Amino acid sequence: MSRPGPDDRPDRLYTLTSGRSRPSREDLDLVTLIVAESGPAAGLSSELATILRLCAHPTSVVEISAELGLPVSITKILVSDLLDAGRATARHPRYTASGRPELDPATLEKVLVGLRAL
Amino acid sequence: MPLSRVRSVAFVCALTSGALAGVTAFAVPADGSDALVWTVSGGGVLLTFTAGLAAWFRSRELRAVERYAELEADAVRFADTTLPAAIARAAQGATAERVLAEFTPTGRQAAVAPVRPEHVRALQEAVRALGRSEARRAAALAACANAAGRMQAISTSTLAELREMEERHNDGDVLADLLHVDHRTAQAGRLADSIAVLSGARSGRRWARPITMESVLRGAMGRIAGYRRVRLRAVPPTLAVAGHAAEGVMHVLAELLDNACNFSPPSTEVFTYVGEVPAGLLVTVEDSGLTMGDSALRRAEQAVSGDTPDLSALTGTRLGLAVVGHLARKHDLTVSFRPSATGGTAVLVLIPRHLISRIEETATAPAASATAATPAAPAAATPAAATATGAAPAAAQAPAPGPDTARRPATGSIPSQRTPSGAAPQGHADALPRRRPAQQSGPPAPSAPAPGSGATAASTLPKRRRGQTFAAAHPEGLPGASASADDSAPAPLSLPRPARHGARFHAFRTAVTGKAGPESTTPRASDPATAEDKDSPDSPASADTRGSDR
Repeated sequence: MSRPGPDDRPDRLYTLTSGRSRPSREDLDLVTLIVAESGPAAGLSSELATILRLCAHPTSVVEISAELGLPVSITKILVSDLLDAGRATARHPRYTASGRPELDPATLEKVLVGLRAL
Repeated sequence: MPLSRVRSVAFVCALTSGALAGVTAFAVPADGSDALVWTVSGGGVLLTFTAGLAAWFRSRELRAVERYAELEADAVRFADTTLPAAIARAAQGATAERVLAEFTPTGRQAAVAPVRPEHVRALQEAVRALGRSEARRAAALAACANAAGRMQAISTSTLAELREMEERHNDGDVLADLLHVDHRTAQAGRLADSIAVLSGARSGRRWARPITMESVLRGAMGRIAGYRRVRLRAVPPTLAVAGHAAEGVMHVLAELLDNACNFSPPSTEVFTYVGEVPAGLLVTVEDSGLTMGDSALRRAEQAVSGDTPDLSALTGTRLGLAVVGHLARKHDLTVSFRPSATGGTAVLVLIPRHLISRIEETATAPAASATAATPAAPAAATPAAATATGAAPAAAQAPAPGPDTARRPATGSIPSQRTPSGAAPQGHADALPRRRPAQQSGPPAPSAPAPGSGATAASTLPKRRRGQTFAAAHPEGLPGASASADDSAPAPLSLPRPARHGARFHAFRTAVTGKAGPESTTPRASDPATAEDKDSPDSPASADTRGSDR
């Protein structure tokens, strides 16, 4: 049971997505990094513009969702719109055939060196 | 007086004939024939009697006529004066008993009070019937308002719950169902709002803070069936509607959008434009459906602008425009209809300036990235919109030496936003300063001596002055990566106030004479996006000139 709160916004979620409930691509998950390929242009909705601003640096889907205050599922739809339009690109974590994240020993070593240097 | 004259004539007649008979009786010699005497005097008496009888009948008839005229005058007075006055008093809200008390010979309305008992009875009957029907109407309205209020409460909390569920469920199918139910509930909520408005209750809910125009329009879209057909164009991102009026504006726009969707082919789109005009914010809803005829346009205009709200004009199926009319009166909105260039009908809603405020970019977006939104202000669809979002071209125009695009608007737009938003509800004066940065590039701007570089460049080219403004903001030169955030905000605020006034006056003069300097019109007329692009090659030049100025 939730009560209408002072931070509510009048726009309903379906108006953000034009009624769509699933993203056009299935490969987005919570930690997919999104990078903006262009700045916000005129005519974009404020949410898309905000995503593009956030993603000036690679930002994960879940972070975007938290910043926008929108459910992850809706955020995925918005992000996939941007990806489809070529305004942003996704950087997926690489997985091995066994489904575990692929770990590059060289990278890990660099991380270790970096940590020690702290 | 005719009656008394008739009486006196009859009396004189009778006296004369009686006297005649008496004289005849005494004047005749005693030895004369009795028969003649008796005949003459008998005739006299008969004549007297007849005359008296005739006079009596005549006077009776006249009295009846007089009484009839009197009655008629009373009836006319009752019908033409007393009854309307009593009904008017009742319509003013007086109770039946009070009206009846006033309409007695001793009451306040003694001048028009009924005098005849039957009129008194008729008045009592009429006024009491009126009172009963008024009471019935009020009870029905109150019941409607009450029920609508409860429906509103239910739909509002249902919408909040649905929103929470939508947060919880990531599955596409579940989400689709939730969104569907959400949409249905929002439509039901709008209907409840309509009933509440028509029955004189408060509309839906109060928003505690200004709602951005984009949210208002989306909120309106969300309440209609055909929201997918609505296209939003040129919505200024920083303009917001005052919280207390946002719900009403949303409802008005929802009804108008619904009308536009219902009266245009389902395959067509409904376009919504927002533009700032001197009087406020103009929202245009344009469909490509049927063009309304002249009489239909007049009826619609009348429905939305009728001075006295009259529920008797409701037809039951067409509630929308009546609701729009109620809300427009309440919030001072101006709604007008005209044939649209696209073949359909366009509805123009003017939201008065006192309901419009500007919100800081940072309120909706993280501060560090508040930059690009300003240049991203919607492509200027109309000149009005272009001036309205003047800060956008201004920000784009502001010299931005170096690649540090993220910092550029911070110099131009943040101080200007801060000023109006602090005193947003005051309307006019506060909404205007936003244009100031645009005007700083205009010719008289040099009268604003930049503290950093002095007023030496008073007669230089406008472009240099822009550089000068920037130099004023950053006396130390190109802002460092970390120092700029601190410097940029206070520096423009330290501009002397008269300078701003001069710039503002120039803005006014430019607007009036229409002779804007080329450097101020060109970027404004062009698409902000392109202006932004143009800016990059421009920037080094202005940086150079600034350097030479110093």
